[in-house]
Amino acid sequence: MAEPGSRLRRGLALLALVSLGWLAAAGVRAEVRELREARVKLGPEGGAADWRPTTLPYHWDRENRGTSGSASFELTFAFAGATPTEPYGLYFPSVGNAAEIWLNDRLLARFGDIDTPDVDDYAKAPRYVPVPPAMLQKNNVLRVGIRADGGRRGGLSGVSLGPASEMRDNVFSHAYAWRVTGSLLLGMLSLLAAFVALTFWVMQSHRGADGRPHRDSIYLWAGVAELCWTLRVGDALLPEPPLAWPYWGVVVTAAYAGWICGVLLFCHHVAGWRQHRSMRWMHVATAVLFGSSMLASWLALDRHQPLFLTAWLGCATLFSAAYSCFYMVATVRHPSVPRALVAAAGMLNVAIGVRDWIVIRISDSFGVITWNRYVSVFFGLALLYIVALRFRDASGQARELLSTLASRVAQREEELASTYGRLEVAAREQASTHERERILRDMHDGVGSHISAAIRQLQSGETSRHELLRTLRDSLDQLKLSIDSIHLPVGDVGALLAALRYRLEPRMVASGLALEWAVEELQPVAWLDAQGMRHLQFLMFEAVSNVLQHAQASVLRIEAAMHGEMLLLRAIDNGRGYDIARAPRALRERTLAIGARLVLESRPGRTVVQLEFDEGRIPGPGAGAVRG
Amino acid sequence: MTIEQVAAAARPWTVLVVEDDPPTRAFFDGSVRGSPALRWLASCSTVGEALAWLEASAEVPDVLLADLGLPDGSGLDVIRAAVARYPHCEPLVISVFGDEANVLASIEAGAVGYIHKDAAPEDIAQIILEMKAGASPISPMIARRVLAKYRSLQADSRRSEAAPPVRPVEAATGRTLLSVREQEVLDLIARGFSYAEIARLKDLSVHTVQTHIKNLYGKLAVHSKNEAVYEAMRLGLLPGRG
Repeated sequence: MAEPGSRLRRGLALLALVSLGWLAAAGVRAEVRELREARVKLGPEGGAADWRPTTLPYHWDRENRGTSGSASFELTFAFAGATPTEPYGLYFPSVGNAAEIWLNDRLLARFGDIDTPDVDDYAKAPRYVPVPPAMLQKNNVLRVGIRADGGRRGGLSGVSLGPASEMRDNVFSHAYAWRVTGSLLLGMLSLLAAFVALTFWVMQSHRGADGRPHRDSIYLWAGVAELCWTLRVGDALLPEPPLAWPYWGVVVTAAYAGWICGVLLFCHHVAGWRQHRSMRWMHVATAVLFGSSMLASWLALDRHQPLFLTAWLGCATLFSAAYSCFYMVATVRHPSVPRALVAAAGMLNVAIGVRDWIVIRISDSFGVITWNRYVSVFFGLALLYIVALRFRDASGQARELLSTLASRVAQREEELASTYGRLEVAAREQASTHERERILRDMHDGVGSHISAAIRQLQSGETSRHELLRTLRDSLDQLKLSIDSIHLPVGDVGALLAALRYRLEPRMVASGLALEWAVEELQPVAWLDAQGMRHLQFLMFEAVSNVLQHAQASVLRIEAAMHGEMLLLRAIDNGRGYDIARAPRALRERTLAIGARLVLESRPGRTVVQLEFDEGRIPGPGAGAVRG
Repeated sequence: MTIEQVAAAARPWTVLVVEDDPPTRAFFDGSVRGSPALRWLASCSTVGEALAWLEASAEVPDVLLADLGLPDGSGLDVIRAAVARYPHCEPLVISVFGDEANVLASIEAGAVGYIHKDAAPEDIAQIILEMKAGASPISPMIARRVLAKYRSLQADSRRSEAAPPVRPVEAATGRTLLSVREQEVLDLIARGFSYAEIARLKDLSVHTVQTHIKNLYGKLAVHSKNEAVYEAMRLGLLPGRG
């Protein structure tokens, strides 16, 4: 364990070391001179042309009540020992608006044109002037000529002189980084925020109840605020602005007012007061604020009445402070993350705004800059965050909407499918009803009538076994034809004839009737539906049955061929013939029903039953024709 | 010399009858017994009875006459079992109407023809003997159905040749199902022409026409088996080729 005495000694040694280090640093600092005592002589437009002593900084607007003019400053300094041999440098926190720097009657640097008023402004940024050691003497005279525009914060700050390495690398670089590079970064951030917000404003349009496109103005006000702020802080980077003074001054003040107005309206939207009646008053208040900013700055800068601008800035700050307090209370009552962010940023900006107003507009300080430009970054970040948040919510809503829409479409499709299904079932039921009706008709006309006939024959007791058998065979043949007709392709007369032959040929053979078959390839008869096919089958069955039973023919010839678009079907027998006037009525009726034209021709040795199916012929009355 | 006389001179064909309606069964039994060219083996009235007979029989039936609507199942099962056990057995379906749906299903099960229930007694033996001599009846409706099926298979086959062969079994059967001559014969039958008229039109013998038809029956049965294999492959019941 160390003794208490030795510990004390070590502590004293450490203290001595620290003190030496501080002294060494003070020695370096001692080389940097602050030049504050000067003589000043105003230009001819200033009236007093005599040199008079002054202490820097020289705040032109304060000294000359906001008028424009020029002045020369003379500062002296001497080196006690030998003149320095290393490069030196001069640092001006603010000089201008335009300036010429002379050392020992030799021009060191020129910032802008000191003879032309209202054009350039080099006072917005710190200036560094290198001094070659050869120009330094034991006793030196530094002369600074300036041109100052009224209300443009011209003048001459205190001047620092020292070795170039210290002045340039530490003092000047540090100040430049804060005032110029900082402004550049802030301007870029604001520009980015403005671009994002305005892009959303342009793209996020929706149709309102009135059918017109509507855009969410929260993005507009965010974009306007950030765009104005870009102009406001970007001004520090423009020694030669695009407009002459004081117009440019009015523009920059209006940009500041635009930022305040945009931020206020944005805050109002964030709070959800878009539909609130206070929104109208906010619009009026911000419009007044914006308009009055231009008027006040015009009066201050052009009419040399700086009080107007000071008063306007005071009012704007006051109004913003009142709004911030009100907003903060509302946020405490109904907190939310966006509200809290905006309220906190607002309070901070208002506090800093008050500080800036006092330091820049009320006190005599010269060469200082606003802090607002730095703290406004919080506003920019809060704004970006909220815009992103809202966009995320909007996208979520859109997705939800899409999924709702998709489910609705699916539901509608399901309904349609169900309706279609019901229709299909109804159609099937209708088809099967038609089929049932057709089968019942067949049973009635065919099997039913034949069985009735057979019963009558049996009851009469006069019929022969052969006749009874024929009736029953007719019945079974009818039934077979009926079954065949179920499978017959609709309109296919060729298939119908083939099936008919297949069913009836055994009876023809049994009756000794020779069949000649001359059926060519046939085109389908388009209008012949299932019922029509059945009619045709009955018709042909009757024709063949007649030949078998009554004609006493030895040959039956069936012909079917296409004659152009017309299908011609003929049953020709060589029987004894009959009176065509007494041809069965059913024959004509069935012919009418299938839209064919019937031609009958009969004489002993040749009877022709001819059916003509003409393409495009509409089934209807008058289709039958008889030729004796 | 009639077919019957020729057949009677040789060994008579053995016949098994499967029919549930007693009068009809008696009619068919009588028709078979009445022909010297045929030898009646047995009559069964149910599927179970028929399958048991087929299982236990020491004699091979040359011909099976089977009704389709049996009390305990379909006559198709009896046809399949008979053909599986006795490949030389030739089944004929007993049908009231000879309608295409039933007849086609029977052909695909292995039947080589059908007999109408209302045929005359003397016709029964005649049809059996004609069938054994190489004839097979086919109605125009069935011919039309077979042609339609063949044409759709052919279209499938053309598609599968243009595209990668997705249905090899089907494509192969589509190409080999019908020869050109068989197709022509079928086409004429579908238009109602008799075998004799077809023979005259195509300059063939009636026997050749009948042979074409009988071959067609065999192909349809094989095709139906191929279809079953394809379906099984499609459903993943059998491993696919390649």
